[in-house]
Amino acid sequence: MTGYQSYYLAVKTSNRDFQMKMEDMPLSGPDNTRLEALAHDIYSELVEDACLGLCFEVHRAVKQGYFFLDETDQESMKEFEIVDQPGVDIFGQVYNQWKNKECECPNCKRLIAASRFAPHLEKCLGMGRNSSRIANRRLASSNNMSKSESDQEDNDDLNDNDWSYGAEKKTKKRKSDKSQNSPRRSKSLKHKNGELGSGVGAESYKYNYNTGISYETLGPDEVRSLLTTQCGVISEHTKKMCTRSQRCPQHTDEQRRAVRLFLLGPSAPTLPDADAVETDSFDIPDAQPLMSRLQWEDSDISPTDSASSKASTNHSDSRKPKKKKKPSLPLNSGGGGSGSGSLAGGGGGSSSQSNISISTKKKRPKLSAPPISSIYDDLA
Amino acid sequence: MSRESRMRATINQKLTEMGERERLKEILRARLTECGWKDQMKAHCKEVIKEKGLEHVTVDDLVVEITPKGRALVPDSVKKDLLHRIRGFLAQHAT
Repeated sequence: MTGYQSYYLAVKTSNRDFQMKMEDMPLSGPDNTRLEALAHDIYSELVEDACLGLCFEVHRAVKQGYFFLDETDQESMKEFEIVDQPGVDIFGQVYNQWKNKECECPNCKRLIAASRFAPHLEKCLGMGRNSSRIANRRLASSNNMSKSESDQEDNDDLNDNDWSYGAEKKTKKRKSDKSQNSPRRSKSLKHKNGELGSGVGAESYKYNYNTGISYETLGPDEVRSLLTTQCGVISEHTKKMCTRSQRCPQHTDEQRRAVRLFLLGPSAPTLPDADAVETDSFDIPDAQPLMSRLQWEDSDISPTDSASSKASTNHSDSRKPKKKKKPSLPLNSGGGGSGSGSLAGGGGGSSSQSNISISTKKKRPKLSAPPISSIYDDLA
Repeated sequence: MSRESRMRATINQKLTEMGERERLKEILRARLTECGWKDQMKAHCKEVIKEKGLEHVTVDDLVVEITPKGRALVPDSVKKDLLHRIRGFLAQHAT
């Protein structure tokens, strides 16, 4: 506005001259009329200001060439007219066209409804937030059906302080595990607490009420394989084998050994655990056995479970303060040492059978039988 | 009369000095835009320009064509509002 203000003033004065002539009437009325007239004058001035402003604006736009930019020819205008038909939005597009269509998933080649396609892709490609959790859970429960292997690692870091019945605890833990994993699951497991019998046969996809395995249904090979990985202590109440890990705090090593004796006969005692009390006074005579035991534990425990193993070994650490001697421990020193002591003492085991069975499952590159068996003899 | 004109001069001066004039201008401009007066006037301008030819239109042309029509087309509500404000100012500041 300031640019052409001088011109504006020039124009204004000419207008004002006109106005002034009009104002030359005798003003004999009271002040009010005068004030009213003054107000009107001021108002007119303001309106003219606005008009002039507009004129200058338009004139400049014309001279600069951008005045007619917003206009297009009639033909193009017709293309973008507002559409007012039913079933169609104002651009003329059909907006629920794809509601009932099905798309083929490029991954699994199934036909999925369009509105469910994105969530399905998430799960299918394993890229969503929950997809990995669901997949892990499914693996866990399917493993439970066959081996009950994945269970033990989960068990270790939870419920360490609860000394209740094994059955209850397991379902409780599993229920909380499931409800943490996936927000959609809201089923409560409480009424299933007392379910017996079909522990292994429970539905693998949903909550696994597997409270334990009934040893009667398993063959000797299965029993042996189970016992090498799990606690296996038979609960008095349910007559089931404990499926928690070898270091489960509910059962002592004594119990585990007894179970193995009972199930496999005295010929093949495959107790992986050394008794806690006995190993207290255990001094490591040389590096080699402990090193190999450590390596066994190292390969034994997968990375995801290292936390749980640490937790449990810390737990046992409090009971075995003397075992922190190994300087070159790959794991956390005290816990690793004592944990491996309890684990590998049995893992070394005197029977080659147990060695083989263990090595098929977990990698044990450097475990040598003779030195460990000597250690085991020490413990026995 | 000179008293009258002196009073007017004083009032105008006050109006400007206190910034009230600018404020009123802005209010008026905003009101006119939102009520569509400006678009109306622009359309009229377009006609004038098409009439006179794009190259040769001058400010004076526009002023002469636009101002009377502009004055007439101001909506009543806007006019009333502005007069109200002016009167208020006068009531406060006129002697």
